[in-house]
Amino acid sequence: MGNVLVWAIWVVAAVACLGSGLAVISFSNPFFSALALIANLAALAVLYLLLSAEFVAAAQVLVYAGAVMVMFLFVIAYVGSHADSPLAGGPSSQRLAAIIAAGAILVNVVVALALTTSGRLESAADTGPSFGSPSDVGEVFLTNHLLAFEITSIVLLVAAVGGVILGSERERREP
Amino acid sequence: MIAASWITLFAPLGATVLITLGGTWITRRQAGYIATLAVLTSFVTALVAFFELLNEQPEERSHTSVLWTWLTAGDFQVGLRILVDPLSIFMMLVVSGVGFLIVAYSVGYMDGEDEERRFFAYMSLFVFSMLLLVQSGDLLILLGGWGLVGLCSYLLIGYYQERPEAIAAAKKAFIMNAFGDATMALALFLVLQRLGTLEYGGVFAGIDGIGGWAITLISLGLLGGAVAKSAQIPLQTWLPDAMEGPTPVSALIHAATMVTAGVYMLVRLNPIFEQTPGIQKLAAGLGAITLLVAGLIALVQVDIKRVIAYSTMAQIGYMFVGAGMTAYPNAMFHLMTHAFFKALLFLGAGIVIHALLGEQDMRRMGGLGRTLPRTYAVMLVGALALAGIPPLSGFFSKDPLLASLLDAGGYGVLLWLAGLVGTFLTGLYAFRLIFIVFGGEPSPYAREHLHRPGTTMPALWMAWTVGVLAVLAAVGGWIQFSPFWTPITDFLEPVAAPGIEPSGMQELWTSVLAVALGLAGIVLAWAVFSTGRVEVPRPAALQRLLEEKFYFDTAYDYAFYRPASWIAAAAIRFVEGPVISGSIRELSEGTRLLATRVTELQTGLLRNYALALGGGAALLALVFLAVRA
Amino acid sequence: MGPDVSWYIVTSAFLFAVGALGVLLRRNPLIVLLSLEIMLNAANLALIGFARHLGETSGQVFALAVMAVAASEVVVGLGLIVALNRNRIPLDVDRLSTLRG
Repeated sequence: MGNVLVWAIWVVAAVACLGSGLAVISFSNPFFSALALIANLAALAVLYLLLSAEFVAAAQVLVYAGAVMVMFLFVIAYVGSHADSPLAGGPSSQRLAAIIAAGAILVNVVVALALTTSGRLESAADTGPSFGSPSDVGEVFLTNHLLAFEITSIVLLVAAVGGVILGSERERREP
Repeated sequence: MIAASWITLFAPLGATVLITLGGTWITRRQAGYIATLAVLTSFVTALVAFFELLNEQPEERSHTSVLWTWLTAGDFQVGLRILVDPLSIFMMLVVSGVGFLIVAYSVGYMDGEDEERRFFAYMSLFVFSMLLLVQSGDLLILLGGWGLVGLCSYLLIGYYQERPEAIAAAKKAFIMNAFGDATMALALFLVLQRLGTLEYGGVFAGIDGIGGWAITLISLGLLGGAVAKSAQIPLQTWLPDAMEGPTPVSALIHAATMVTAGVYMLVRLNPIFEQTPGIQKLAAGLGAITLLVAGLIALVQVDIKRVIAYSTMAQIGYMFVGAGMTAYPNAMFHLMTHAFFKALLFLGAGIVIHALLGEQDMRRMGGLGRTLPRTYAVMLVGALALAGIPPLSGFFSKDPLLASLLDAGGYGVLLWLAGLVGTFLTGLYAFRLIFIVFGGEPSPYAREHLHRPGTTMPALWMAWTVGVLAVLAAVGGWIQFSPFWTPITDFLEPVAAPGIEPSGMQELWTSVLAVALGLAGIVLAWAVFSTGRVEVPRPAALQRLLEEKFYFDTAYDYAFYRPASWIAAAAIRFVEGPVISGSIRELSEGTRLLATRVTELQTGLLRNYALALGGGAALLALVFLAVRA
Repeated sequence: MGPDVSWYIVTSAFLFAVGALGVLLRRNPLIVLLSLEIMLNAANLALIGFARHLGETSGQVFALAVMAVAASEVVVGLGLIVALNRNRIPLDVDRLSTLRG
């Protein structure tokens, strides 16, 4: 019974994920695309939970869906939604090439997966109850990957400063 | 002695370096003084070496000294080697002595020239090169000196750079000499290949081991160099044109020293040449032909310097006859006296030219005997010496040389006859010059433009040097009066023993005939040119033949110059244009075209770049998969 | 219990391809940025999946770092778009070709 439930949740979440992804790239109005992305993020959070990554799921919803997407929506509102047909413009060869390229990447990944892993993806590792909890993640972050932690902070700082600079009113030069 | 010899060699080079580096910090006249002092130093040290050599026994009078080894190739080594022996000392004295007088003269002659410093730098360089040539103890150093004197000749003939005739003459001299240099180099290659050494001692010792065609080629190659340098037929056409250079240059290089290098070589390398008597006879024959042809051409020349140039050619012809028939000491003695009186004639002509403000055409001269009496006197001494009239120097050197030919068989007699005819011609053309220039009434040109040399410093320097040369031309021959008193022959005996000796009777008869013919020539010249009593028939064809210098120049023009220019033009049109310039142009065009095509990839569109990224990533993944599987 | 990790990876691959299509085919730079986010999230999914499969928390740590970087990148990208809009440059990726060779 539990297994069926898990499978069912997985199917719903996966379909929602892919569907909202397709929706993002298909809407002509960027506002709708942004909303579709929020749905995508939510579906992904569910998938993370199924994979025992509770902290990451929570972070995803809080940071990504909560902050980043809100920022997106602000900018879309500011800029105005210029609706344009999704596949308009550009050379047609570009379109064909794009589809082929995307397809190729997909096929590659799947085939690579099939070929290289053969039977090894069957059994997942045993994990303790605290796997994916904030304490576990925090411990690993601050011991094994301390450098990554620090550098990430610097990246965030730089981005914040950059954002302020980019957004500030520049003085018009005298013609 | 060795140290003195090295100083002799390097003093003029030091002057050149000093004048060159001094640039405008030394005045022009100081440059002249530096050069004169250097050559005087050379002469003094040569004298020192000479006296030290005399102190030794004749058999021991041969020393070599190597300064440093500058070329090593396997077993073969060449160093800067000089040889001090009677022959080289003799030449060193002549070169530095006459060189000193001529350089001192040119301090006066070239006074006021803009480029005086360049002149003296080149003159010192020339003296150094000539001394290197005569002092060398090695065939390679000889060739080096050979080339260097050719270079200095080129630099000095073309001294008046603004005159295209001078530049052309310099090029002509250099190219014809280069031909001789090439044949010499080939001969040296053969020697090196057969004997493994180019040092005189080693070469002379082993030279009889080479047989057959090799030794013939070697002698021929060396003779080629001598003929080119000494302006003998058939490589003589450069010498008259070389008169474009300043008069002291003509005196030093083209009379007293450089052109005599061929004679020196025939004497110095006599062990090589004696292996091929045929080549030696060829050299003598060429000398005889040259002395006749040059004598004839001199009869119709109107430029005063060109008459003297052809005279030089003829006299060197005498020396070639002597050296070719193994009368080495006589040839060298004549070389010495010729240096005296030929330099005297040139420098005296220089005084005349200066007095007429640069005019060299004899038809515009005349009657200068009255206006330039002292110049007339010394020129007369020079001309008499040239014609071989006793007791002046030419008599003592030329007649024994001719006489010894009678000791050389039928061929020798033939050469003896040619030499006697040449004596007649010599008297004729020499005194033609004297009578036209100094005799008779002054020409209108001379009357207008005569500018008598006064007692300024330049004039004084020209005067005293010419005076010394006049004395030498007069008494310089008294050092040897064969067969009674022969210090020169004895001195040179260890190195260059004569192969033919005239008997007393042969000497007497030759002298009588030669002097008689010389006087006959003088008398004929007097009759034709001075008093006009005899009218010379001038058939047009003969006149033209002589004026065109026997058509040698025309022949060489058609044989060498025109084909060469035609080939050059064809090469420019078919090779340089399409192949060389074309290929470079095509390369640059092609590269530019490629670049244009490549820039079309940069569309500036984000999507294209992203596609390239994605596509590339997919491709890479494919490759990884394929490798894995 | 539930699908094994290969299903998650395949989902991630599909999502990545969708995002790639969006980047390559859309003209509006805002949509392009959104598609870029999709690609990043697809990578995150793969990371989390393998973290669970191998029992390594490092995968989750990596995913958090990716999230931080993605947020920073969005900040800069949106700043650019705002600047473009302020200078009245049309928001069309095909028109932004000043770097044309």
